[in-house]
Amino acid sequence: MSSTTNRSAARRAYGRYAVRRLAQAVAVVLLAYVFTFLVISVLPGDPVSNVLRDPQNNFSEQEIARIVAYYGLDQPIWVQLVEALSRFVVGDLGVSLRSNLPVSGLLADVLPSTLRLAGAALAVALVLAFAIAFGVRNLPAPLARPLRAFPSLFLSVPNFLIGLVLIQWFSFQLGLFLVIDAESLLATFFAAVALGIPVSAQIAEVLIANLDHEARQEYAAVARSRGLGRARLFTAHLLKPSSLPVVTVVALTVGELLGGSLITETIFGRNGVGNLVQRSVATQDLPVLQAVVALAAVVFVVVNLVADLVYPLLDPRVRLDASPARTKEVSA
Amino acid sequence: MAPHDRLTTLLDEPAATALPDVPPVLAVEGLTISYGGTQVVHGVDLAIGRGQSLALIGESGSGKSTIARALLRLLPEGGRADGRAVFEGVDVLALPERRFRPLRGRSIGFVPQDPGASLNPVRTIGAQGLEAAALLDLGSKAERREAVLETLAQVGLDDPRRVAASYPHELSGGMLQRVLIGLAVLPRPALLVADEPTSALDVTIQKRILDLLSDLQADLGNSLLLITHDLAIAAERADALVVLKDGTVHESGATTAVFAAPSSAYARRLHADVPSLNPERYADLRAVGERRHRDADATPARIEVAGLTKTFGRGDDALVAVDDVSFSVPAGTTHALVGESGSGKTTTIRLLVGLETPDGGSVEVAGAPVHQHSRAELREARRHLQLVYQNPFTSLDPLWKVERLVREPLDRYGVGTRAERRDRVREAVASVGLSEELLTRRPAALSGGQRQRVAIARALVLHPDVLVLDEPTSALDVSVQADIVQLLLRLQAERGLTYLFVSHDLALVRQLAHTVSVMRHGKVVESGPVADVFAAPQHDYTRTLLASVPRGAER
Repeated sequence: MSSTTNRSAARRAYGRYAVRRLAQAVAVVLLAYVFTFLVISVLPGDPVSNVLRDPQNNFSEQEIARIVAYYGLDQPIWVQLVEALSRFVVGDLGVSLRSNLPVSGLLADVLPSTLRLAGAALAVALVLAFAIAFGVRNLPAPLARPLRAFPSLFLSVPNFLIGLVLIQWFSFQLGLFLVIDAESLLATFFAAVALGIPVSAQIAEVLIANLDHEARQEYAAVARSRGLGRARLFTAHLLKPSSLPVVTVVALTVGELLGGSLITETIFGRNGVGNLVQRSVATQDLPVLQAVVALAAVVFVVVNLVADLVYPLLDPRVRLDASPARTKEVSA
Repeated sequence: MAPHDRLTTLLDEPAATALPDVPPVLAVEGLTISYGGTQVVHGVDLAIGRGQSLALIGESGSGKSTIARALLRLLPEGGRADGRAVFEGVDVLALPERRFRPLRGRSIGFVPQDPGASLNPVRTIGAQGLEAAALLDLGSKAERREAVLETLAQVGLDDPRRVAASYPHELSGGMLQRVLIGLAVLPRPALLVADEPTSALDVTIQKRILDLLSDLQADLGNSLLLITHDLAIAAERADALVVLKDGTVHESGATTAVFAAPSSAYARRLHADVPSLNPERYADLRAVGERRHRDADATPARIEVAGLTKTFGRGDDALVAVDDVSFSVPAGTTHALVGESGSGKTTTIRLLVGLETPDGGSVEVAGAPVHQHSRAELREARRHLQLVYQNPFTSLDPLWKVERLVREPLDRYGVGTRAERRDRVREAVASVGLSEELLTRRPAALSGGQRQRVAIARALVLHPDVLVLDEPTSALDVSVQADIVQLLLRLQAERGLTYLFVSHDLALVRQLAHTVSVMRHGKVVESGPVADVFAAPQHDYTRTLLASVPRGAER
């Protein structure tokens, strides 16, 4: 078997795989949207009407009629669903019941803040996790052993507590950043630390377990028999295979980052998606909530899609073009 | 002190590895290794002369691999080596790691046991080769790359560039072992330590790898410490032998002396247990089946396989795993299916026991077709057809006790009353030579040989006519293998069982089978009575297989 035909077959297989995963991702997002729509529809008490009819809200009859017509609330449910879906597909997320502003605009206002926070938190988590893992494998035992306890420690401290402690020390006592100026670089950094620490624990846990596992593999001993030292063994041999599963873990921690950002934003007084959700829940602003659920689904699906697409590129062992019978017989 | 006496005899031996005036490359004295507090190697002495080869022979648990690791100072955590190991005048055990590390690879090369697990799976061969080339103190990266390609060519890999660009999983086990040998010899070490370099490979590949090691040794003039469980390989390849058991040297000296006239009881036993050195060991027991075979015309065949075909996959990916295979086995005899990995022998037996459906052809066991059956009929047919798997370390449920493991088939077929089943279990366990005390043990508390006896008892408990034996001894030590072979032959002589014996070990086939089919790429290339096929092989492939069997011939 020549390697060129092999490689081009592998590339075709990857293309098929990517298309398939992309289609699945789109389907998952649409289904998530349909699901939230149905859940809201079957909820008793028709929250939309509740809001519209609330005397405090002072909607005029014309306004009510306009909104009812816009959402097609006078139509059968499946017509409503089709309309909502067709609006969703072109990016129209509806209008907030509270502020009468387009939901997409409301989201666009708060999304950058949350993305900055979550992205910074992921960076903090990764740096911290790799630093701990490096220390565990390369420091002398008296230092490395206590370092192994760090992930469980990080995991057991709730992130709002870390946030409060960070604010107490670095803002109130050391005056490094102002709580009022929540979007400043340092304030964002400390918020990201608060959010990133528990996430780093999960990544570090997996990384250390993998490093220990890889270090016990025969190839590690054989590499040492070629004269490699501890540090070279770590960087050249152990790090890559141990980091591959981290891709999957990172994709899974996105949910944690999104959920945690709600709490962290409150503590650090940031105006992000969490803040918007909090207000919308309190006021039953359903179009906003539905848009946020859809957004969460999109983020989750996209991150996992990226992870699935990247993994086969990083790990040469993943074969997408193998028929099961062939691998079984030939490799036997 | 006994160890020192042994060292002296080794050095005094005229054909021994070290000449008196030339100091040995490696001299090990009183090497003791322990894990935790447990000593596993007790005061081992050995010496390897410059350019000579020494084989360290022992079964699993003898400490042979541990010694190899200790010499490279690669013992796992908790391992501790004491004593002296003088390499080129320096006691390597006393060196600090910082001073020893430059010797690794550069002066002492290492060839590992399992090529499939010994290269980093996510790095290319070339990248790992550059690590070995870095030990040569070449100037540029281009020169190092050139050195890697040269060494890959030197170990007989046809397309070095492609190999260097490949990942380990893209190459076969034999190719990977060539790569590993290439990387080990690349820095021109004075001593090469090869830890069972062929035990994970097919027999024809084994011969080529051993030839390669011998050729390189002749070309490069390095010394070789060959660690093996196979006395025949050791005798064929090494100038001197050290026989190890339970961490103690039982015998050592020049190969000619130790091999031809072993003086220790253990070395004699080891010699007797190697199938290739004792083809007629079980002639008496085997003769029972031989007589049945001669009368085969009178009795109908117990297993009749005709035109069996099975294809996996379709289109370009299609692989004909079994291609028009036919054979018949007279009742009470043993038919051997011989072939290397991928020859289709495993698929054939899966078809035979009804685990796969054939694309064409038929299988009849005791006159009844296996495949045109309903589920219930197939179940009934399997009752008379039991399978013993290759690896007793994985084929027994680790949570079950022996009693339940052996009784399970009876429970499944609802045989007899509870008391009758208990008696059948005891009878089966006794027939394979296990004591009743073991009935309450779990597999983890049994040795490999005991486990395989349990697996055989489990197969026998339903009183089947036919046993399909899928490499039943390949995971076991030679001495344990000899016991199992003897047991199988005794059971056949006593009960008239019919065996289909699947193996890659021709010497073993010679010892216990009556007829044989040699398989390659899914086809039977040659078949007939064992004596005829072995004495006058007709097919080239059969000749290659036979030539690959190590015989420990005099050098």
